[in-house]
Parts: sequence; C-alpha cells; structure tokens
Amino acid sequence: MENLDYARLQMAFTLGFHIIFACIGMVMPFFMVVSHKKWLNTRNPVYLKLTKVWQKGVAIFFVTGAVSGTALSFELGMLWPEFMKHAGPIIGMPFSLEGAAFFIEAIALGFYLYGWNKLPEKFHWFTGVIIGISGVASGILVVSANSWMNAPSGFDYVDGVFSNIDPVKAFLNPAWFTEALHMTLAAFIATSFAVAGIHALQIFRNRKVEIHKAAFKIAILFGACAAILQPLSGDLSAKDVAERQPVKLAAMEAHYETQKGAPLFIGGIVNEEEQTVTNKIEIPKALSFLAFGDFDAEVKGLNDFPKDELPPVAIVHYAFQTMVGIGTLLLLSGLLYFISLKKKSWMNNKKYWLFFTLLAPLGFVALEAGWIVTEVGRQPWIIHDIMRTKDAVTPMPGIKFSFYMYVCVYVALGTTVTWLMNRQIKSLNTSKD
Amino acid sequence: MLYVVLFFTLFSFFLYVLLGGADFGAGIVELFSTRKNKQITRDVVYRVMGPIWEANHIWLIILMVILWIAFPAYFNVIIIYLHIPLTLVLLGITMRGVAFVFRHYDAVVDNSQILYNWMFRISSLITPIFLGMSFAALIGGKIIITDDYSNYTFYQIFMMPWLNTFTVLVGLFYAALCAFMASNLLIGESDGEIRKMYSRKSAIYTVVLVVIGFILIAYGFFFDIEFIKDFILNPISIIAIVLSGVLLFPLWTAIRKENKIMSRFLAGIQVVLILFAAIYAHFPYIIITKTTELNLMNGVSPDAVIQTLGISLLIGGFLILPGLYHLMRSFKMIKILEK
Repeated sequence: MENLDYARLQMAFTLGFHIIFACIGMVMPFFMVVSHKKWLNTRNPVYLKLTKVWQKGVAIFFVTGAVSGTALSFELGMLWPEFMKHAGPIIGMPFSLEGAAFFIEAIALGFYLYGWNKLPEKFHWFTGVIIGISGVASGILVVSANSWMNAPSGFDYVDGVFSNIDPVKAFLNPAWFTEALHMTLAAFIATSFAVAGIHALQIFRNRKVEIHKAAFKIAILFGACAAILQPLSGDLSAKDVAERQPVKLAAMEAHYETQKGAPLFIGGIVNEEEQTVTNKIEIPKALSFLAFGDFDAEVKGLNDFPKDELPPVAIVHYAFQTMVGIGTLLLLSGLLYFISLKKKSWMNNKKYWLFFTLLAPLGFVALEAGWIVTEVGRQPWIIHDIMRTKDAVTPMPGIKFSFYMYVCVYVALGTTVTWLMNRQIKSLNTSKD
Repeated sequence: MLYVVLFFTLFSFFLYVLLGGADFGAGIVELFSTRKNKQITRDVVYRVMGPIWEANHIWLIILMVILWIAFPAYFNVIIIYLHIPLTLVLLGITMRGVAFVFRHYDAVVDNSQILYNWMFRISSLITPIFLGMSFAALIGGKIIITDDYSNYTFYQIFMMPWLNTFTVLVGLFYAALCAFMASNLLIGESDGEIRKMYSRKSAIYTVVLVVIGFILIAYGFFFDIEFIKDFILNPISIIAIVLSGVLLFPLWTAIRKENKIMSRFLAGIQVVLILFAAIYAHFPYIIITKTTELNLMNGVSPDAVIQTLGISLLIGGFLILPGLYHLMRSFKMIKILEK
C-alpha cells in the first residue's frame, strides 16, 4: 500500500472513532437533562441517581470526543495539506462557528459538572440544556464542511486557481441541510438505541430494574422518534445525491447500465470486474422513483462515467445496504416500543429486553456505514469534481507508522472507555438503596 | 477586519500559553512532589482547574482554525514540516485529557488510579516540551521548504528542524514557565504548611526558569540562532525581558505578604512580557527557514474570508468571554474576581 492509502486509512479510522464519541457526547446530555428535570419535578431519588450516573458518562465521552476532535483538526492539515491550503479559507466559517459552539459547550459543562449544590437549581439544570444545544450545534456546523466537499460552492475554479471566494455561500452549500438533518437524526438513533440496549441488558438480568427501566424509557423515546423520522430525511438525501453526485448514487445501488425505469437492488454480491450483481432482490422501477420521484426517469449507470472517476463500487454498495437494512429494523423497533406502551404485558417478557439488548450496537454500525457511503462514494475526489484525494495528500513519507500509532492509541482508549462504562453500571447495580 | 483577526490570533495564542500552560504546569508540579504532596496537589488541581481546564485547551483549536482560515500559506508550512512534533503534542494532549477525567470520574477507586495519575503527570510534562519544540522549530532557522524531496533525506526535512539543542532548550523553557505559573496559582489556593510548600516550589521554578532562559539566550548567541540575535539587539524586547526579571522582586514580596491578587497578577504580567518580547522582535516574520523568513501577513486570505472570519470571531467572542468570566467567578478561580 502507498502513503495515500495509509493516509486515507488513518483519516477513516480516526474519523470513525471520533464520530462514535462525538455522537454520544452530543446526545447523552439530553437524556441527562430529562432525567434531571424529572428529579426536580418528582423528587424521586431514582432520577437523581440516574442523572449523576449519566453525567459521569457525559464527562468521559465529552473529553474523549474533544481530544479526538482536537487531533482531527490537526490531522486535516497534517494528512491533506494541499486540501487545507485551498479549502481551509473557503470552509473556515463553519469551523470557526463550530469552535465557538464547542467552547460554549465546554463552559456549560464546567458549570454543570461542578455546579451541584452551588448554583441555583434551575440555572444549574439550564446549563445542562446548553450543553445539549451547543453540542448539536457543533455537529450541525461541522457537517457543513463535509457537505461542501460533496457540493462545492462559494468560489470560482479556473485553471487550478480558486477565486471569488464567498465563505457564506460555501457555508450554506446546497447539500448541508440534507446531510446535517440525516446525521443529527442518526446520532440520536445510534446513541439512544445503544444506551437503551445497555439498560435493557440490566433489566434482562434483573438488576435494579426500577432505575434501569427509567433510563431505558428516557433513552428509547429519543431513538424511536428519530428512527421513525429518519426515512424521510434519507429520501431527501437520496434525491440530493441523485442530482448532485449521480456517480455516488450509481455506486450505492451498484447500478452499471444506464436505463429508464431503473430497478432497485436489495442485497446482492457485486463483481466489480465483470460489472455484475448476483443474488439480489430486484424491485422494478423503484430506483428511478426513489431518486427522481418518477417511475420512468433515467438513472445514469456507472458505465457511462469516465473510468478514472469511479469510486470503489462494492464497498459503497454493501455499506449502503447495511445502513438501509439497519435503519429499517430500528424504525420497526421504534414502532414496537410505542405499541408496547399500550400492551404493557410485553415489557414483562424477557425476550422483549433481550431484543433491545441485541439492537444496542446496530445504530452505530449503520452510522459508520453511512459515513463510508458518503466518503468512499465521493472518491477519487476529496472535493467533488475539483480536487483529487491523491493530489491533496502530504508529501511526508511513512504515514504507515502514524496510522499504526493511532490505531494502537485509539484501540486502547476505546477499550478503556468501554471498561469504565462497565464499571459505572456495576457500581450502580451494587450500590445500596 | 484584518486587525480583528490578528487580535484574536494573538489573543488565543497568549491565552493558550497562559491558561493551557498553567494547566500543564499543575501536572508538572504534581510530578515533582513528594508522595504526600502529590495527593494534596491532585485535589487542589481538581478543585481549581476542574471546571475550566477543558475550555483552556480550546484556545489551541481556535488558534489553529484562525491560522488555516486567514493565513493558509503560513499554516501550510507548519502543518507539513512539523508533522512529527505536532503528532507528539496531540498524543500528549489526548493522554492528559483522558487521564484527567478517568482519575476523577472512574466509578471505582482502585489501583488503576496509579496508572491514570502517572499518565496525567508524565503527559503534563512532555506535552509543553513538544509544544515548545514545535514553536522553536518555526523560528530555529533549520526548516527547508522544498518541492524536490529527493534531494534531501527524511531526517533533514522532517526531523532536524525540530530535533536539535535549541528546540529542546525552548521546550524545557516552556515547561519551566508552565510550572512557574502553576505554582504561583496554587499558592493562592492553599493555606498553612501546603501554602509554604507551594511558595518553596514557586521559588525553585523561578530559579529553573531563569537558568534555562539564560542558557537559551547564551546558546542562541554563540551558535548563531538568528531569532535570538535579533531578540538581543532589539531594545524593546530587552526592556520587556529586564522588566519581567525586575518584577520578580515585587512578586516575592506579594507572595510573602500573602497577597493573592497581586502575586497572580504579577506572575501573569511576567509571562506576558516574556511572550511579548519573543514575538515582538520578529513580528510578523514568525517562520525563519534555512534561507528565508516568511511573513505571516504574506498570503493572507481574500477580503471576503477575513470579513466573515472577523464577524464570526466577534460573535463567538461576545458569547464566550462573558460565559468564561462567569464560570471563573462562580467557582472563585480568579481571586481578582471575588470582590
């Protein structure tokens, strides 16, 4: 493998790691403030205990997200200096606003963590709300930089020179809304199902059922609502990709031949050399409809794009199938939860809790798969149709070693954080009262 | 608007060096303490720094973001040629950050605390050293900017500029500066015997700082480091440094008289004077390569970019600074704000 491959692997690995921690750090404060509010309203000590346990989780994930994010802000330049040299000023606005939002989050977190019994109750609770809002704002803002790479705008590009830069236009690039909406909902789904799953496991094992049930109910409510809304956002995203990045759409669907009334493939094994997809389920005309809202619309196939502008098809197709498959499962599980609110007897069934336990990691699998679709699907471009990834990479050789170092550090970090969370749960289960 | 951007560039640089530095310094003070004092320092650090330490380190991100938005050509040099020391800085920041939360938020207190504590202390020492080395590399006059990598070895381009006696001296100087700031900060947070302990430490770190500073200047003078020579020949820089040295006397008086406000204020002023002296002599030529000096103001981004960045920074500043002020006041972090 070359330097470029290692640089891409390192970027993928560190982003993939950061996204998990950033999402948890972004969504968990909402669980925390809901539980805190319930404590203030009911004075039921279960909610106070839960708030304090979740607060520790928020602190740990915030810092892991923050340090991995600091590393990323350097890595963007260290791995892709040529990209940052030109793109940095153009997409600087979302980054600087994100910096501000992140700062506010850190200040609010300082107030919240250290404010127990020192600040007025309502103000203290409110600083928790600020953590959540500014966290989500950071996420939405930083996605703008990524959506700009998919839908570059706010500049003229003539003979390799970027001119007439308009940072506001670049910031409000046309792919931003759909991407940010999709990502925010995904963050809520992934975190909620993960947290709900962890508490479901404790209920399944019959440990401190009262507190874990309270926790499960708060977490799953966010996840179930987001999972039900996500297909609508997915539809907007698909239509946007169809219009702006038709080659990505073709790769997502492993759609080789241009045709009118194109079918949608579910599953299937892609053979990139022979350009075939076997063992798939075909839904006639569905792709044309989903992409363009018209059953007979023409969908351009991969064969009609220049060979050197194609992304790796199989990876993108499999990742897309994984994301949609899991998304559908979680949507149904969300509905199942709302039905179980009416049919209370379901919650006495152990299988119900086992089912939600098994769902725990799936949201994050789908989230990572989605990022693989959008990032690998954009290749060979780092800025769609403007700059190739290979032209942006650092001239420094030996990125291999840097990649291995990051893998070691982040694997160790990931393991430790998981172990710490396990200890939090255990100490909650063994605590008195 | 360019001036607004420049102001925030320097503002975040100074604040990071000061606040981030005091933060690193707290870990250094803890590292070089007896076993009993380590435990005491650990608790004092948690109480004093806990609510604010994360925010202190965001100034570094703000600084990086401003550099890449407003001064892309300049940022490009930093990020390509300082790849390795910056990676080491990041490693240190990561280790330090997670060790700090792990040791205070682990649900079970057991032997793993030993690991967290040592991770925190060691990375608190190493990170400012590498930060100092990275900064020294920029002004050390050894960077080779080229497109033709085949003419040079990996060592010449990616190692030598940041790994030499001068950069190591600057790294040690910054670490000593951090310890100096932290020990002065901690004096005001303690009483009785512990207070005396920090006063002793403050005196020791002051001596260490002055000695390293002296070696650094002598080394730069005798081994032809351009930055140091220009620094010595610049009257304003020299005045600033001498003033910073003279201020040690009122500082010691303030410490002896237990005047918390004055001692912190003086220590802060001293550090600002040292930084100012270093930056002033060469501003805006803050990268010195083997053959040339790069002007920060060359290759500034187009006006439209500077305009929006300036506005974003002003909005951000109006939101952040009052919040930061109230945070510090609520938790009595700065004695000056207590009244």
